[in-house]
Amino acid sequence: MSLLLLRLTIAFYSVGLLHSFLTIITRKKTLFRVALASISVGFLCHLLAISVAWFETRHPPISELQEVLSFFALVIVLAFLVAYARYRLDSLSVFVFPLAFILTLAANLTSEPSQPFPEMLGSLWLYLHVPFIFLAYAAFFVAFASGLMYLIQENELKRRRPQAFYYRLPSLEVCDELGYRALSIGFPLLTLGLVAGVFWQAPWELDKKVIASFSTWIVYAVLIAYRLSEGLRGRRAAWMSILGFILILATFFGIRSQGSAHPFIQ
Amino acid sequence: MSLLLVGLSHRTAPVEVRERLYFPDSRLQEALQRLTSQSAIAESLILSTCNRTEVLAHSADARRGLVLVRSFLSDFHSQPEESLHPYLYDLTHSEVVRHVFRVASSLDSMVLGEPQILGQFKTAFNLARRIGSVGDALSPLIHRAFFVAKRVRSETAISSAAVSVSFAAVELARKIFDHLGGRTVLLLGAGKMSELAARHLISQGTTRLLVWNRTYRRAVEMAEDLNGEAIPPEELFRHVERADILICSTGSPGFILTRSDGQRLIRLRKNRPVFIIDIAVPRDVDPEVNSLDNIFLYDIDDLQHVVDANLKQRRREAQFAEAIVQEEVQSFVKQARGLDVAPAIVSLRKHWEAIRREELARSRKKLGSLNEQQEAALDQLTRGLLNKILHGPISEIKSLGQDPAAERKIAAIKKMLGLKP
Repeated sequence: MSLLLLRLTIAFYSVGLLHSFLTIITRKKTLFRVALASISVGFLCHLLAISVAWFETRHPPISELQEVLSFFALVIVLAFLVAYARYRLDSLSVFVFPLAFILTLAANLTSEPSQPFPEMLGSLWLYLHVPFIFLAYAAFFVAFASGLMYLIQENELKRRRPQAFYYRLPSLEVCDELGYRALSIGFPLLTLGLVAGVFWQAPWELDKKVIASFSTWIVYAVLIAYRLSEGLRGRRAAWMSILGFILILATFFGIRSQGSAHPFIQ
Repeated sequence: MSLLLVGLSHRTAPVEVRERLYFPDSRLQEALQRLTSQSAIAESLILSTCNRTEVLAHSADARRGLVLVRSFLSDFHSQPEESLHPYLYDLTHSEVVRHVFRVASSLDSMVLGEPQILGQFKTAFNLARRIGSVGDALSPLIHRAFFVAKRVRSETAISSAAVSVSFAAVELARKIFDHLGGRTVLLLGAGKMSELAARHLISQGTTRLLVWNRTYRRAVEMAEDLNGEAIPPEELFRHVERADILICSTGSPGFILTRSDGQRLIRLRKNRPVFIIDIAVPRDVDPEVNSLDNIFLYDIDDLQHVVDANLKQRRREAQFAEAIVQEEVQSFVKQARGLDVAPAIVSLRKHWEAIRREELARSRKKLGSLNEQQEAALDQLTRGLLNKILHGPISEIKSLGQDPAAERKIAAIKKMLGLKP
């Protein structure tokens, strides 16, 4: 049942993917309303799929790789919908829709019969750790995408010879503010997620993944501190948001966990 | 009946010719009345702007209509017809539909996508309708043209990018600050140009204006004019950090804002962005300043480049618009032509032929015996009479093929001739 719902979700998300493709190719906003509606319905479907999976397996579906990918896609779409509701930023869709589609598709492809839930993972802290971390990731993804949009738009304005992006992308002010908002939502979530992780894992297993996570936390902490004290903004802030997100990807996919706490990456 | 259009525009005629055929508002009514007083011109509309003069008409005979409109143009403006010949273009049928749609959508305008033409078109239409020179034949076409123009405007970005230097500056400011409300503009140098730019920004929403000038008195004058605040010459550096937008137009021979000034400025502003417009010649701001983060420097040439790029952007959008126009022309022409008049003619003939036979048969009894020749003559007489009577209505129905209001007119003719519509 949950697999069926997940496939339905993919179908809805594929409209979003089509929108992104057409928008990039034709260089004009194509099919946005249709895609937005489809993504919204897809989101509800996705939410249902994950809830059903939870009910079926009797544990939160966040312990295996495909479950985690699917959950990540869900929170990224959530982050987009929130950002869109607030800023009417349709340009963000070009980044978000394909990612949501690919993550959900990957989740579906790697889907295999649910393995018995590892005994050690069952803990209240896990239920806090994973959602917080992924909500933070989604927020950081929005910060990453707005950083990218900022850099492209800034480049257009500095070159003083506007091309297609100048007309399509939002203003620097909006990119910058959205990036900052996303950080200020993502950072507390990351902090809570890491704290929950620490409690969940006690006694500590200090593996590379844990170290990388804390490094990411430090990067974002520095970025926010700079921004508050020195008014760091614009190009440098955009670059840091991008680097921070690359570090997240490295943490998530690149660094193999040696301990048994993050089984989905082994 | 058919559509026709005679006109000239910036594409075919220089301004010396265009102005000779210009219809001032005060003479439009007279012109339209003279045009439609000719029996061959059923309806007409005149669109006369500084870039074009066009006469749109509906006539029983397109070729004759074109000749009449041409001679009307030369008579009305007392211009010899031969002198206008090289500049005028003639369009008929679906060419007219396409042209009218393109003009209304501003695809034929000198500044591609400029929105005024639609308004001028509407004014021309309202006048023509009020004095009755436009009726059932032209109205559907013109209403459709307005609809197409609206579609083009909403489905393409043809009118969105700024095509004048001052609008381009406002648009750039929006790309940096998003909205101009609550922003501060500082004028360095109180010249005519900077005043113009400032008025423009104020009308677009900036709320605070600071004026600085070497002679303080001039700054005070302009500040009063524009409801701003004058800054004493020696206090510039205390105020410059307040400005989000800086418009420089002093007569200074060298740079008044160097790279290190820029660095200091951005530090004072805690990295909040500044948009500097340097319209002074020689330039007031060292071009190197643009390489600093969060400062965006545009001189007068840069603004012109932006305008050029915007025009290019409009031309790209125009391709989408042309596709929309093409589609609309096809559907409009098809709709107009779609009305098949043949069944109406056949039913009319059948109806009256039956009546003729009936009447002939009834009278035949009273006439007693007739020889073959007399029989034939009688038949020919009635047939000929019927053909003569029906000739007018049938040729009228035949000519209605392209009339947008054909259906209704045919129904009326049939009713008059005793057929159920």
